[in-house]
Amino acid sequence: MNPQLAGLDDLQGTYVFDLRVSHRAMKLNRFLWNMIGAPARDTFKADPVKAMTEAGLSAEEQELVRKEDWIGLIRYGASFFVLEKFARVAGRTNLEVYAMMRGETFDDFMKTRRVPECR
Amino acid sequence: MAKIIGGIGTSHVPTIGVAYDKGKQDDPAWAPLFAGYKPVADWLAEKKPDALVFFYNDHATTFFFDLYPTFALGIGERFEIADEGAGKRPLPAVRGNVDLSIHIAESLVNDEFDITTFQDRAIDHGCASPLPLLWPHAPDWPGAIVPIAINVLQFPIPTAKRCYKLGQGLRRAIESYPEDLKVVVVGTGGLSHQVHGERSGFNNEDWDMEFLDLFVNNPDELTKLRHADYIRRGGAESVEQIMWLAMRGALEGKIRELHRSYYLATTTAMTVTLYEPV
Ligand SMILES: [Fe+2]
Repeated sequence: MNPQLAGLDDLQGTYVFDLRVSHRAMKLNRFLWNMIGAPARDTFKADPVKAMTEAGLSAEEQELVRKEDWIGLIRYGASFFVLEKFARVAGRTNLEVYAMMRGETFDDFMKTRRVPECR
Repeated sequence: MAKIIGGIGTSHVPTIGVAYDKGKQDDPAWAPLFAGYKPVADWLAEKKPDALVFFYNDHATTFFFDLYPTFALGIGERFEIADEGAGKRPLPAVRGNVDLSIHIAESLVNDEFDITTFQDRAIDHGCASPLPLLWPHAPDWPGAIVPIAINVLQFPIPTAKRCYKLGQGLRRAIESYPEDLKVVVVGTGGLSHQVHGERSGFNNEDWDMEFLDLFVNNPDELTKLRHADYIRRGGAESVEQIMWLAMRGALEGKIRELHRSYYLATTTAMTVTLYEPV
Protein backbone atom coordinates (compact mmCIF):
# COMPACT_ATOMS: atom_id res chain seq x y z
CA MET A 1 0.00 0.00 0.00
CA ASN A 2 1.25 3.45 -0.92
CA PRO A 3 1.32 5.41 2.38
CA GLN A 4 0.49 8.61 0.51
CA LEU A 5 -2.87 7.04 -0.32
CA ALA A 6 -3.66 5.19 2.90
CA GLY A 7 -6.98 5.88 4.58
CA LEU A 8 -9.19 6.35 1.55
CA ASP A 9 -11.07 3.06 1.82
CA ASP A 10 -14.27 4.71 3.01
CA LEU A 11 -14.27 7.30 0.25
CA GLN A 12 -17.11 6.33 -2.06
CA GLY A 13 -17.07 6.70 -5.83
CA THR A 14 -13.30 7.17 -6.12
CA TYR A 15 -11.00 4.76 -7.97
CA VAL A 16 -7.31 5.47 -7.53
CA PHE A 17 -5.34 4.92 -10.74
CA ASP A 18 -2.02 3.45 -9.64
CA LEU A 19 0.55 1.19 -11.27
CA ARG A 20 -1.40 -1.92 -10.27
CA VAL A 21 -4.52 -0.74 -12.06
CA SER A 22 -2.51 0.65 -14.95
CA HIS A 23 -0.69 -2.64 -15.43
CA ARG A 24 -3.91 -4.65 -15.34
CA ALA A 25 -5.79 -2.42 -17.79
CA MET A 26 -2.85 -1.51 -20.06
CA LYS A 27 -4.40 -2.68 -23.33
CA LEU A 28 -7.68 -0.95 -22.69
CA ASN A 29 -5.99 2.30 -21.73
CA ARG A 30 -3.69 2.17 -24.75
CA PHE A 31 -6.68 1.64 -27.02
CA LEU A 32 -8.45 4.66 -25.49
CA TRP A 33 -5.26 6.74 -25.64
CA ASN A 34 -4.84 5.99 -29.34
CA MET A 35 -7.98 8.06 -30.01
CA ILE A 36 -5.79 11.19 -29.99
CA GLY A 37 -4.71 10.15 -33.48
CA ALA A 38 -7.00 10.79 -36.44
CA PRO A 39 -6.13 7.46 -38.16
CA ALA A 40 -7.09 5.46 -35.03
CA ARG A 41 -10.36 7.38 -34.80
CA ASP A 42 -11.15 6.61 -38.43
CA THR A 43 -10.26 2.93 -38.04
CA PHE A 44 -12.49 2.64 -34.99
CA LYS A 45 -15.43 4.41 -36.60
CA ALA A 46 -15.17 2.25 -39.73
CA ASP A 47 -15.19 -1.06 -37.83
CA PRO A 48 -15.24 -0.86 -34.02
CA VAL A 49 -15.03 -4.62 -33.43
CA LYS A 50 -12.07 -5.04 -35.75
CA ALA A 51 -10.28 -2.06 -34.18
CA MET A 52 -10.84 -3.37 -30.65
CA THR A 53 -9.88 -6.95 -31.55
CA GLU A 54 -6.68 -5.79 -33.18
CA ALA A 55 -5.92 -3.76 -30.07
CA GLY A 56 -6.13 -7.00 -28.09
CA LEU A 57 -9.18 -6.08 -26.01
CA SER A 58 -10.95 -8.93 -24.22
CA ALA A 59 -14.64 -9.61 -24.80
CA GLU A 60 -15.41 -7.89 -21.48
CA GLU A 61 -13.42 -4.81 -22.42
CA GLN A 62 -15.00 -4.62 -25.86
CA GLU A 63 -18.45 -4.80 -24.31
CA LEU A 64 -17.70 -1.91 -21.93
CA VAL A 65 -16.45 0.22 -24.83
CA ARG A 66 -19.31 -0.76 -27.14
CA LYS A 67 -21.91 0.16 -24.50
CA GLU A 68 -20.04 3.38 -23.68
CA ASP A 69 -20.35 2.26 -20.06
CA TRP A 70 -18.35 5.12 -18.56
CA ILE A 71 -18.60 4.11 -14.91
CA GLY A 72 -18.01 0.48 -15.86
CA LEU A 73 -14.85 1.46 -17.71
CA ILE A 74 -13.61 3.47 -14.72
CA ARG A 75 -14.32 0.59 -12.33
CA TYR A 76 -12.56 -1.76 -14.70
CA GLY A 77 -9.40 0.37 -14.62
CA ALA A 78 -9.62 3.00 -17.35
CA SER A 79 -7.89 6.28 -16.56
CA PHE A 80 -10.35 9.14 -16.97
CA PHE A 81 -7.73 11.03 -18.98
CA VAL A 82 -7.72 8.50 -21.79
CA LEU A 83 -11.42 7.87 -21.37
CA GLU A 84 -12.11 11.52 -22.20
CA LYS A 85 -10.27 11.08 -25.50
CA PHE A 86 -12.67 8.28 -26.38
CA ALA A 87 -15.58 10.48 -25.23
CA ARG A 88 -14.68 12.95 -27.99
CA VAL A 89 -14.96 10.12 -30.52
CA ALA A 90 -18.28 9.05 -29.00
CA GLY A 91 -19.49 12.66 -29.31
CA ARG A 92 -19.87 13.14 -25.56
CA THR A 93 -18.75 16.18 -23.58
CA ASN A 94 -17.02 15.72 -20.25
CA LEU A 95 -20.06 17.14 -18.47
CA GLU A 96 -22.22 14.44 -20.04
CA VAL A 97 -19.74 11.78 -18.99
CA TYR A 98 -19.72 13.09 -15.39
CA ALA A 99 -23.51 12.88 -15.29
CA MET A 100 -23.49 9.31 -16.59
CA MET A 101 -20.79 8.25 -14.13
CA ARG A 102 -22.98 9.64 -11.33
CA GLY A 103 -25.97 7.75 -12.71
CA GLU A 104 -27.92 10.96 -13.36
CA THR A 105 -29.53 12.45 -16.41
CA PHE A 106 -27.61 15.36 -17.88
CA ASP A 107 -30.33 17.85 -16.93
CA ASP A 108 -30.51 16.60 -13.35
CA PHE A 109 -26.74 16.80 -13.04
CA MET A 110 -26.60 20.32 -14.43
CA LYS A 111 -29.26 21.41 -11.90
CA THR A 112 -26.73 20.63 -9.17
CA ARG A 113 -24.23 23.08 -10.72
CA ARG A 114 -23.94 26.80 -9.88
CA VAL A 115 -23.88 28.08 -13.45
CA PRO A 116 -25.62 25.41 -15.54
CA GLU A 117 -25.31 27.59 -18.65
CA CYS A 118 -21.53 27.37 -18.45
CA ARG A 119 -20.97 24.61 -20.98
CA MET B 1 21.60 36.90 -14.44
CA ALA B 2 18.04 35.75 -14.97
CA LYS B 3 15.50 36.54 -12.31
CA ILE B 4 12.09 35.31 -11.17
CA ILE B 5 9.80 38.33 -11.09
CA GLY B 6 6.53 36.64 -10.15
CA GLY B 7 4.32 33.61 -9.96
CA ILE B 8 0.93 32.70 -11.38
CA GLY B 9 -1.43 30.01 -10.16
CA THR B 10 -4.03 28.90 -12.66
CA SER B 11 -6.52 26.18 -13.42
CA HIS B 12 -6.02 24.32 -16.67
CA VAL B 13 -9.52 23.01 -17.26
CA PRO B 14 -9.81 21.95 -20.92
CA THR B 15 -13.13 23.79 -21.29
CA ILE B 16 -11.26 27.09 -20.77
CA GLY B 17 -9.53 26.37 -24.07
CA VAL B 18 -12.78 25.31 -25.74
CA ALA B 19 -14.58 28.46 -24.55
CA TYR B 20 -11.66 30.59 -25.78
CA ASP B 21 -11.60 28.93 -29.20
CA LYS B 22 -15.36 29.39 -29.54
CA GLY B 23 -15.06 33.08 -28.64
CA LYS B 24 -17.25 32.93 -25.53
CA GLN B 25 -15.58 35.96 -23.88
CA ASP B 26 -18.88 37.88 -23.76
CA ASP B 27 -21.15 34.95 -22.97
CA PRO B 28 -22.53 35.82 -19.48
CA ALA B 29 -21.80 32.30 -18.20
CA TRP B 30 -18.16 32.56 -19.25
CA ALA B 31 -17.45 36.29 -18.88
CA PRO B 32 -16.42 36.08 -15.18
CA LEU B 33 -13.77 33.54 -16.08
CA PHE B 34 -12.23 35.72 -18.77
CA ALA B 35 -12.53 38.84 -16.59
CA GLY B 36 -10.59 37.01 -13.89
CA TYR B 37 -7.60 36.56 -16.17
CA LYS B 38 -7.55 40.16 -17.41
CA PRO B 39 -5.53 41.68 -14.53
CA VAL B 40 -2.94 38.94 -14.85
CA ALA B 41 -2.72 39.40 -18.62
CA ASP B 42 -2.31 43.16 -18.03
CA TRP B 43 0.45 42.55 -15.50
CA LEU B 44 2.26 40.29 -17.98
CA ALA B 45 1.86 42.91 -20.74
CA GLU B 46 3.39 45.50 -18.43
CA LYS B 47 6.24 43.42 -17.01
CA LYS B 48 7.09 41.73 -20.31
CA PRO B 49 8.73 38.56 -18.99
CA ASP B 50 10.95 36.75 -21.47
CA ALA B 51 9.83 33.33 -20.35
CA LEU B 52 7.10 31.53 -18.46
CA VAL B 53 8.13 28.32 -16.75
CA PHE B 54 5.05 26.11 -16.60
CA PHE B 55 4.68 23.45 -13.93
CA TYR B 56 1.80 21.53 -15.44
CA ASN B 57 0.68 18.02 -16.01
CA ASP B 58 0.33 16.07 -19.16
CA HIS B 59 -3.02 14.25 -19.38
CA ALA B 60 -1.75 11.08 -21.08
CA THR B 61 -1.32 12.97 -24.32
CA THR B 62 2.38 13.66 -24.75
CA PHE B 63 3.20 10.53 -22.78
CA PHE B 64 1.38 7.26 -22.29
CA PHE B 65 1.43 5.04 -19.19
CA ASP B 66 3.92 2.65 -20.79
CA LEU B 67 6.57 5.30 -20.06
CA TYR B 68 5.25 7.98 -17.81
CA PRO B 69 7.86 10.41 -16.48
CA THR B 70 7.59 11.76 -12.94
CA PHE B 71 9.16 15.06 -14.01
CA ALA B 72 9.83 15.94 -17.65
CA LEU B 73 11.22 19.17 -19.07
CA GLY B 74 10.55 20.17 -22.68
CA ILE B 75 13.23 21.48 -25.02
CA GLY B 76 12.44 23.03 -28.38
CA GLU B 77 12.21 26.17 -30.52
CA ARG B 78 8.46 25.49 -30.70
CA PHE B 79 5.93 23.29 -28.97
CA GLU B 80 2.96 22.19 -31.02
CA ILE B 81 -0.39 22.08 -29.23
CA ALA B 82 -1.68 18.53 -29.19
CA ASP B 83 -4.78 17.04 -30.73
CA GLU B 84 -6.53 15.43 -27.73
CA GLY B 85 -9.25 13.71 -29.66
CA ALA B 86 -11.21 16.68 -30.98
CA GLY B 87 -8.72 17.88 -33.60
CA LYS B 88 -6.12 20.66 -33.66
CA ARG B 89 -6.73 23.99 -31.92
CA PRO B 90 -6.44 27.22 -33.96
CA LEU B 91 -3.36 28.47 -32.10
CA PRO B 92 0.23 28.94 -33.27
CA ALA B 93 2.80 26.56 -31.82
CA VAL B 94 4.12 27.95 -28.54
CA ARG B 95 7.63 29.39 -28.58
CA GLY B 96 10.41 27.76 -26.56
CA ASN B 97 13.86 28.85 -25.46
CA VAL B 98 16.29 26.02 -26.15
CA ASP B 99 19.25 27.48 -24.26
CA LEU B 100 17.21 28.27 -21.18
CA SER B 101 15.56 24.85 -21.16
CA ILE B 102 18.90 23.08 -21.50
CA HIS B 103 20.46 25.19 -18.77
CA ILE B 104 17.59 24.35 -16.42
CA ALA B 105 17.98 20.64 -17.21
CA GLU B 106 21.72 20.79 -16.55
CA SER B 107 21.30 22.76 -13.36
CA LEU B 108 18.58 20.48 -11.99
CA VAL B 109 20.43 17.25 -12.78
CA ASN B 110 23.73 18.55 -11.38
CA ASP B 111 21.72 19.59 -8.33
CA GLU B 112 20.65 15.91 -7.95
CA PHE B 113 17.17 16.48 -9.38
CA ASP B 114 17.28 13.86 -12.13
CA ILE B 115 14.63 15.13 -14.47
CA THR B 116 13.58 13.53 -17.77
CA THR B 117 13.74 15.68 -20.90
CA PHE B 118 11.58 15.56 -24.01
CA GLN B 119 11.83 17.05 -27.50
CA ASP B 120 9.61 17.16 -30.59
CA ARG B 121 6.43 16.39 -28.71
CA ALA B 122 3.16 18.29 -28.70
CA ILE B 123 1.90 19.53 -25.32
CA ASP B 124 -1.69 19.35 -24.10
CA HIS B 125 -4.25 21.49 -22.29
CA GLY B 126 -2.36 21.24 -19.00
CA CYS B 127 -0.24 24.05 -20.39
CA ALA B 128 -2.22 25.25 -23.40
CA SER B 129 -5.68 25.86 -21.94
CA PRO B 130 -4.83 28.91 -19.78
CA LEU B 131 -1.99 30.22 -21.97
CA PRO B 132 -4.03 32.32 -24.47
CA LEU B 133 -5.83 33.97 -21.53
CA LEU B 134 -2.47 35.08 -20.16
CA TRP B 135 -0.55 35.92 -23.32
CA PRO B 136 -1.73 37.15 -26.73
CA HIS B 137 -0.84 34.83 -29.61
CA ALA B 138 -1.40 37.11 -32.64
CA PRO B 139 0.76 37.54 -34.63
CA ASP B 140 2.91 35.41 -32.33
CA TRP B 141 3.40 34.63 -28.66
CA PRO B 142 5.39 37.42 -26.93
CA GLY B 143 7.83 35.09 -25.18
CA ALA B 144 8.96 31.56 -24.62
CA ILE B 145 7.71 28.86 -22.33
CA VAL B 146 9.65 26.19 -20.48
CA PRO B 147 7.23 23.31 -19.92
CA ILE B 148 7.90 21.08 -16.91
CA ALA B 149 5.42 18.22 -16.74
CA ILE B 150 4.70 16.54 -13.41
CA ASN B 151 3.03 13.14 -13.14
CA VAL B 152 -0.20 13.57 -11.17
CA LEU B 153 -2.08 10.82 -13.04
CA GLN B 154 -0.50 7.46 -12.33
CA PHE B 155 0.37 6.79 -8.69
CA PRO B 156 2.98 6.86 -7.25
CA ILE B 157 3.14 10.57 -8.02
CA PRO B 158 5.68 12.89 -6.37
CA THR B 159 4.92 14.15 -2.89
CA ALA B 160 3.83 17.72 -2.29
CA LYS B 161 7.18 18.32 -0.61
CA ARG B 162 9.10 16.98 -3.62
CA CYS B 163 7.27 19.40 -5.88
CA TYR B 164 8.21 22.26 -3.58
CA LYS B 165 11.84 21.16 -3.73
CA LEU B 166 11.68 21.05 -7.52
CA GLY B 167 10.65 24.69 -7.41
CA GLN B 168 13.60 25.51 -5.17
CA GLY B 169 15.86 23.79 -7.68
CA LEU B 170 14.28 25.73 -10.52
CA ARG B 171 15.09 28.97 -8.74
CA ARG B 172 18.75 28.01 -8.43
CA ALA B 173 18.70 27.15 -12.13
CA ILE B 174 17.14 30.46 -13.16
CA GLU B 175 19.39 32.54 -10.94
CA SER B 176 22.49 30.89 -12.41
CA TYR B 177 21.47 31.60 -16.03
CA PRO B 178 23.89 34.20 -17.41
CA GLU B 179 21.43 36.19 -19.55
CA ASP B 180 19.35 38.95 -17.92
CA LEU B 181 15.99 37.31 -18.50
CA LYS B 182 12.80 38.04 -16.63
CA VAL B 183 11.03 34.80 -15.74
CA VAL B 184 7.56 34.13 -14.35
CA VAL B 185 6.78 30.73 -12.85
CA VAL B 186 3.32 29.28 -13.41
CA GLY B 187 1.77 26.51 -11.33
CA THR B 188 -1.29 24.98 -12.92
CA GLY B 189 -4.17 22.78 -11.82
CA GLY B 190 -7.13 22.70 -9.45
CA LEU B 191 -8.73 23.89 -7.51
CA SER B 192 -11.26 21.43 -6.05
CA HIS B 193 -12.69 18.98 -8.56
CA GLN B 194 -13.20 15.32 -9.26
CA VAL B 195 -13.77 14.02 -12.75
CA HIS B 196 -14.03 10.26 -12.33
CA GLY B 197 -16.32 7.85 -10.55
CA GLU B 198 -19.62 8.50 -8.82
CA ARG B 199 -17.93 11.28 -6.81
CA SER B 200 -17.50 13.31 -10.02
CA GLY B 201 -18.57 16.90 -9.52
CA PHE B 202 -17.26 17.14 -5.95
CA ASN B 203 -16.15 20.62 -4.84
CA ASN B 204 -15.07 22.14 -1.54
CA GLU B 205 -15.03 25.92 -1.57
CA ASP B 206 -13.96 26.23 2.09
CA TRP B 207 -10.91 24.09 1.46
CA ASP B 208 -10.10 26.03 -1.71
CA MET B 209 -10.03 29.28 0.26
CA GLU B 210 -7.94 27.68 2.99
CA PHE B 211 -5.53 26.36 0.37
CA LEU B 212 -5.13 29.79 -1.22
CA ASP B 213 -4.46 31.42 2.16
CA LEU B 214 -2.01 28.76 3.32
CA PHE B 215 -0.32 28.99 -0.05
CA VAL B 216 0.76 32.56 0.68
CA ASN B 217 1.18 32.46 4.45
CA ASN B 218 2.15 28.93 5.40
CA PRO B 219 3.04 26.76 2.40
CA ASP B 220 5.03 24.47 4.67
CA GLU B 221 1.74 23.09 5.95
CA LEU B 222 0.61 22.28 2.40
CA THR B 223 3.85 20.41 1.69
CA LYS B 224 3.14 18.15 4.67
CA LEU B 225 -0.22 16.97 3.37
CA ARG B 226 -0.42 13.52 1.82
CA HIS B 227 -2.08 12.81 -1.50
CA ALA B 228 -4.97 11.20 0.39
CA ASP B 229 -5.56 14.51 2.19
CA TYR B 230 -5.84 16.41 -1.09
CA ILE B 231 -8.11 13.73 -2.58
CA ARG B 232 -10.44 13.74 0.39
CA ARG B 233 -10.58 17.52 0.84
CA GLY B 234 -10.66 18.72 -2.75
CA GLY B 235 -11.68 15.74 -4.89
CA ALA B 236 -9.46 13.12 -6.51
CA GLU B 237 -8.06 15.21 -9.35
CA SER B 238 -7.41 18.22 -7.12
CA VAL B 239 -4.28 16.38 -6.02
CA GLU B 240 -2.71 18.16 -9.00
CA GLN B 241 -2.55 21.27 -6.80
CA ILE B 242 0.81 19.95 -5.65
CA MET B 243 2.06 21.57 -8.88
CA TRP B 244 1.26 24.97 -7.39
CA LEU B 245 3.72 24.07 -4.65
CA ALA B 246 6.48 23.74 -7.24
CA MET B 247 5.78 27.35 -8.19
CA ARG B 248 5.74 28.31 -4.48
CA GLY B 249 9.14 26.66 -4.00
CA ALA B 250 10.52 28.82 -6.80
CA LEU B 251 9.18 31.90 -4.97
CA GLU B 252 10.38 30.77 -1.56
CA GLY B 253 10.02 33.34 1.19
CA LYS B 254 7.48 36.09 1.55
CA ILE B 255 5.16 36.72 -1.37
CA ARG B 256 2.36 39.18 -1.98
CA GLU B 257 -0.90 38.14 -3.63
CA LEU B 258 -1.72 40.80 -6.25
CA HIS B 259 -4.75 39.10 -7.71
CA ARG B 260 -7.18 36.29 -6.99
CA SER B 261 -10.11 35.23 -9.08
CA TYR B 262 -12.23 32.19 -8.26
CA TYR B 263 -15.09 31.00 -10.44
CA LEU B 264 -16.86 27.77 -9.61
CA ALA B 265 -19.36 27.37 -12.45
CA THR B 266 -19.85 23.68 -13.08
CA THR B 267 -17.33 21.12 -11.90
CA THR B 268 -13.91 22.70 -11.35
CA ALA B 269 -13.23 25.73 -9.20
CA MET B 270 -11.50 27.77 -11.92
CA THR B 271 -8.91 29.98 -10.29
CA VAL B 272 -6.21 32.41 -11.27
CA THR B 273 -3.84 34.15 -8.88
CA LEU B 274 -0.83 36.40 -9.21
CA TYR B 275 2.09 36.72 -6.80
CA GLU B 276 5.19 38.85 -6.50
CA PRO B 277 8.13 38.17 -4.22
CA VAL B 278 8.31 40.71 -1.39
FE1 LIG C 1 -4.97 18.33 -14.89
